[in-house]
Amino acid sequence: MRFLVFAEQHEGEFVKNSLGVLSKAASLGDADAVVVGADAGLAPELGKHGAKVVHVAAGDDTLAPPLPQPRVDVIAGLAPDYDAVLFGQSVLAADVAAGLAARLDAGLNWDLVDVELQDGELVGKRPALQDSVLVEVGWKSTPALALFRSGAFDPKESGGEPEVRDVDVQLEDFSTKVKMVEQAHAEESSGPSIEDADVIVAGGRGLGSPDNFTLAEDLAKALGGAVGATRAVVDAGWYPYSAQIGQTGKTVSPKLYVALGISGAIQHKVGMQSSGTIVAINKDPNAPIFEFSDLGVVGDLHEIAPKLTELVRARKGS
Amino acid sequence: MSRASNFPPPFSTAEFVAEPTDPADERIEVGILVVGAGPAGLACAIRLGQLIEENPDVAERLGEVPVAVLEKGKQPGSHLLSGAVVDPRGLRRLLGSRYRMEDLPTFGLVPAESVYVLTRHTALPIPPPPPMRNHGNWIFSLSQLGRFLAERAEEGGALILPETSAQKLLALHGRVVGVRTGDKGRNRDGGELGNFEAGSDLVAKVTVLAEGTQGHLTGVALDRFGLRGDDPQVWELGVKEVWKVARPLDRIIHTLGWPLRTGKRYREFGGSFIYPMGEDMVTIGLVVGLDYRDASLSVHDLLQELKTHPKIRRILAGGERVAWGAKTIPSGGFHALPSPLHAPGLLLCGDAAGMVNIPRLKGVHYAIESGRLAAEAAFRAFQRGETPASAVASYDAAVRDSFIWSDLYEVRNMRQVFGHGFFVGGALASAMTVSKGRVEVGKLPAEPDADQPLLVTDRDVSYPAPDGKLTFDKLSSVFASGNKTRDDQPNHIRIERRVPKEVAQMWAHMCPAQVYEIGAEDADGTVRVELAPSNCVQCGAITAKGGRLTPPEGGSGPEYTVT
Repeated sequence: MRFLVFAEQHEGEFVKNSLGVLSKAASLGDADAVVVGADAGLAPELGKHGAKVVHVAAGDDTLAPPLPQPRVDVIAGLAPDYDAVLFGQSVLAADVAAGLAARLDAGLNWDLVDVELQDGELVGKRPALQDSVLVEVGWKSTPALALFRSGAFDPKESGGEPEVRDVDVQLEDFSTKVKMVEQAHAEESSGPSIEDADVIVAGGRGLGSPDNFTLAEDLAKALGGAVGATRAVVDAGWYPYSAQIGQTGKTVSPKLYVALGISGAIQHKVGMQSSGTIVAINKDPNAPIFEFSDLGVVGDLHEIAPKLTELVRARKGS
Repeated sequence: MSRASNFPPPFSTAEFVAEPTDPADERIEVGILVVGAGPAGLACAIRLGQLIEENPDVAERLGEVPVAVLEKGKQPGSHLLSGAVVDPRGLRRLLGSRYRMEDLPTFGLVPAESVYVLTRHTALPIPPPPPMRNHGNWIFSLSQLGRFLAERAEEGGALILPETSAQKLLALHGRVVGVRTGDKGRNRDGGELGNFEAGSDLVAKVTVLAEGTQGHLTGVALDRFGLRGDDPQVWELGVKEVWKVARPLDRIIHTLGWPLRTGKRYREFGGSFIYPMGEDMVTIGLVVGLDYRDASLSVHDLLQELKTHPKIRRILAGGERVAWGAKTIPSGGFHALPSPLHAPGLLLCGDAAGMVNIPRLKGVHYAIESGRLAAEAAFRAFQRGETPASAVASYDAAVRDSFIWSDLYEVRNMRQVFGHGFFVGGALASAMTVSKGRVEVGKLPAEPDADQPLLVTDRDVSYPAPDGKLTFDKLSSVFASGNKTRDDQPNHIRIERRVPKEVAQMWAHMCPAQVYEIGAEDADGTVRVELAPSNCVQCGAITAKGGRLTPPEGGSGPEYTVT
């Protein structure tokens, strides 16, 4: 089976999620990647993650800004040679995938968490009914288009040097109508974004006050992770909405999730339950979060968190 | 003693009545505009489709979009919740020979029925009192019935607009000329997000408000046009769950008594219903009058307590909860009906108008029948020789000649007598039923639910701790309602944020969806009420108990499928 993976990059940095999808594709069949708006210098990294061929679409200024339609033009030209085109979930990838589905009249399965081959057929796994069950989904049309949740796969370095091919880009008239005027980042944050982070330290109402979010921030910094928040504290204005994890916020699956003062309501659980290791610190021994934590600490997070931060710093020698 | 009505919400009718503001060529013009895709609104749209087919000459005058139906939920049925054992009269008259009852998405005829008076450990069977007899009635999921009716309405040419809230009543020179839909894509402070989409003016010759219980624009219209009935409207709150069960239930069950208290000072009126939904599902719900006084009363938690009764635990044993929801039921009955049921350019029907027979726990058939009659009146406005005024006025006469009127008249004093306490009230209610309403107990005074002086007891200590199997907390229940409302939107719940503690306690316990929390206490003994509006399942209890629910962004709220 031949896969084409959209290798999303911003200013030369690949989105981790799309590298994870590439690694997965390489484990299932022949995986190629397409990178748009950057030069061939990025190709080796895609080769490392399993790409046999890297299609590079550069050279045109209209391709640099992260706009969906030019990317649809690029991929639509390549797609007929492939059985499936795969994307890692992001705002841009969702736009491109949807546009491609319309352009090719091809079916798109989104929000997938896994994919496999069953008797030579591609089968996706998609959580349904508020993540309580996993359903298998298929495709009737080719190429099969799939969009995978953040953190669905870990990037794995398996391959070698890829073949680089330049794409001869034919942009549609309408694709050049939109111009990027200005790019603004609403909330500047240092460290990784919560979708990409391997470690997330999330704070809930148990922190007691907005000022105590420094406990979560310090621990996240020590661990090299990002800070998340529950809906309750975002609602209360303690932390920005962009950090909200849960049913109506972001869905994350870091390797390590540390929950500080989070009770673990199901609305929060569905946003983080696929995390690798879940550590909860909460003073209420009956908090539901302990039912799905790998390690639960019943105690006062105001005492425990700073000590933990110190220990991590000491261990890391920083 | 505090009363919630002493702390009115920041809300004015004037805020929600406006003249059209979109330039004339940008207004969306429709023939007849229906607000609400529930049984009343969809029956109205279906009947209009039939009339249009039968009268092609008149149909032309309705324009390019003859009938539009606004629905604030994700799709028709998303906000529909009821028992529901449905009296088939309304459906039969609406659908005529086109469909048999068996063709509808029903769980069949009521097979048998039992009524029990409960105490904590016992269940005393009593013969079903006359109003509770359900022979010949059919079991439905109202949410599923709504989706079926929506398909029929669309077949008849109606345009259904889901995820669209009706925010303002458009009025020009004293007549209703349509509604303005709500904006989408505003953030918590009201600022415009990237996906902001302004609402639109929808203009129509006749607007039919079929918004269901606690209709936002219905409330506005009642005040704007002075349509309130003799009595203030009062409500009950129903919370229900749907269970997958190991063994089929062979009958419908109603219970009275425990966990409600019978003492007169508590004013706790209500009961439960347990209905089979086919072989493998059961629905169980508890309904309590919102004229209760105890600030620690929580209908959701009482339902959880009810399920621990040995009789009920047996029915649910080995089962699993699959859905949950809550909704208010207007219970003021005949004396609280709006008078008249129309205003210039406007008709009111169904639950929005309070057409519910509380002793029989039924209103779906009135909603359907009133929607059908509203369609006929609205259609007349387009016929030659009719004026819009004579057309809408004909609706009142039609309702008076219908079974809606005679049924509601018969039970006109039934609800209020329960203010005398459960046993006295029960006896009077039976006498009224047996005599078909001829026993006059005199017209009893009615008070708004929010006027009841509050008392605080420790009844909440007996609510069972949620075990996640038989009993559930509110937040996981909100999850089971399918609610995934966008958090970052303006608050749609109007309340006074600083109130005496018992008022805040009452709201916190009352709300089945955990929208209200008691915040910081001030030196003067008042507390601040904290809100989580995105939990809201739009049951409407807050409007009965001293606040005001307005519609959130279209598409918000629960996504009911089997309730």
